[in-house]
Amino acid sequence: MVRSSRIFNDCVIISFLMLITCGMNYGTETDIFCLKSIKNALQDPYNYLASWDFNDKTEGFICKFIGVECWHPDENRVINLILSNMGLKGQFPRAIQNCSSLTGLDLSINKLSRTIPGDISILVPFVTSLDLSSNDFAGEIPQSLANCTYLNILKLDRNQLKGHIPAQLAQLPRLKSFSVANNLLTGRVPNFRPGIVTAKSYANNPGLCGSPLDPCRA
Amino acid sequence: MERVISSFMGSFLVWAFLVLDLVLKVSGNGEVDALNALKSTLLDPNNVLQSWDATRVNPCTWFHVTCNSDNSVTRVDLGNADLSGQLVSQLGQLSNLQYLELYSNNITGKIPDEIGKLTSLVSLDLYLNKLTGPIPSTLGKLQKLRFLRLNNNALSGGIPMSLTAVSSLQILDLSNNHLTGEIPVNGSFSLFTPISYQNNPGLIPPKNTPSAPRSPPATTSSAELHQTTEFH
Repeated sequence: MVRSSRIFNDCVIISFLMLITCGMNYGTETDIFCLKSIKNALQDPYNYLASWDFNDKTEGFICKFIGVECWHPDENRVINLILSNMGLKGQFPRAIQNCSSLTGLDLSINKLSRTIPGDISILVPFVTSLDLSSNDFAGEIPQSLANCTYLNILKLDRNQLKGHIPAQLAQLPRLKSFSVANNLLTGRVPNFRPGIVTAKSYANNPGLCGSPLDPCRA
Repeated sequence: MERVISSFMGSFLVWAFLVLDLVLKVSGNGEVDALNALKSTLLDPNNVLQSWDATRVNPCTWFHVTCNSDNSVTRVDLGNADLSGQLVSQLGQLSNLQYLELYSNNITGKIPDEIGKLTSLVSLDLYLNKLTGPIPSTLGKLQKLRFLRLNNNALSGGIPMSLTAVSSLQILDLSNNHLTGEIPVNGSFSLFTPISYQNNPGLIPPKNTPSAPRSPPATTSSAELHQTTEFH
């Protein structure tokens, strides 16, 4: 390859990488887009999200929205999104990826359905507490959750999840609590460190086995 | 006769001290003095502290000060007030203080160690200032602290390990400073992600975080020492 065009290629790559890393850290315009998109994507039969008014453009206006907690009260950057018990319907809102500073997500006690995204660790890479319990999520528990390195609490109980629980979830270094009770799961449970699960964490699944449950049959 | 007089004098002195002590307690002057000391070291071009009158019995009528039903200060709200100058150690005397909001100013100097005495403190917001020096390890004594936002200053030194014992901590923002050393991950710090530490080039990320998506879990390698805190 000619030397000058090689240097040009290198410059393009470096600029691209710099652009990506810069874009990752700051997300205030994107946080507004995140919430707007979530509101549009979900069905909200009880109008809980009707109060999310995107015409008000004062500093930190999304921080006053119901269910939204910000890092700082006067900056549009979401730390926790708590939309529990709102009768919300639809799929897992992929637009959450635009809330790039999100660490807490609680969508429990709704009517969300279809699958938990297979790339969830890209959508919410910094999540520390993820509560998807009491919904209608179906399909398998995605392997990708094992890449959500900062997870402390993972609640998936009361859904229609099937298949096996990914064994790699036991490697999550910060996990303190895990529950999948009341699903359709089968197979050997992961080998979690002590204190993270009890038998109750697995209750009401048709075919789970392995400690603390009954041993798996060979 | 002399004995009677000296024992009388002794009793009188004890009585006088007791009365003085009572008077001082009732008047709550310590909190007026503390806030007046702060006023004297701050530069206040917009006169936001104009109502801070040191002749008052307590500071509860002052703007930007909130008291409880015992006339003791629970909040100081001076965010976005164009203040410069420095903080004072007397802030530690506001023993019932819950919210110390001094964010978005131009305050310089150090965070006083005495802030560690404010055992009722729920929120410490000193972000977006020009503070220098270390994060005092005395902050580890604030067992009710929920919000610790010191981002966007010029703070240096390490993150005190004592903070990992503050189990009430919910939001930690130390981003955009000159902090160095290791990032704790134990205790309450299990909840905190690289977002809390962005733009502190000298901070060393903890082990056990992948250097890029889909890397295997870490055993220390020289590659990890080149990580910035920007993205894990």
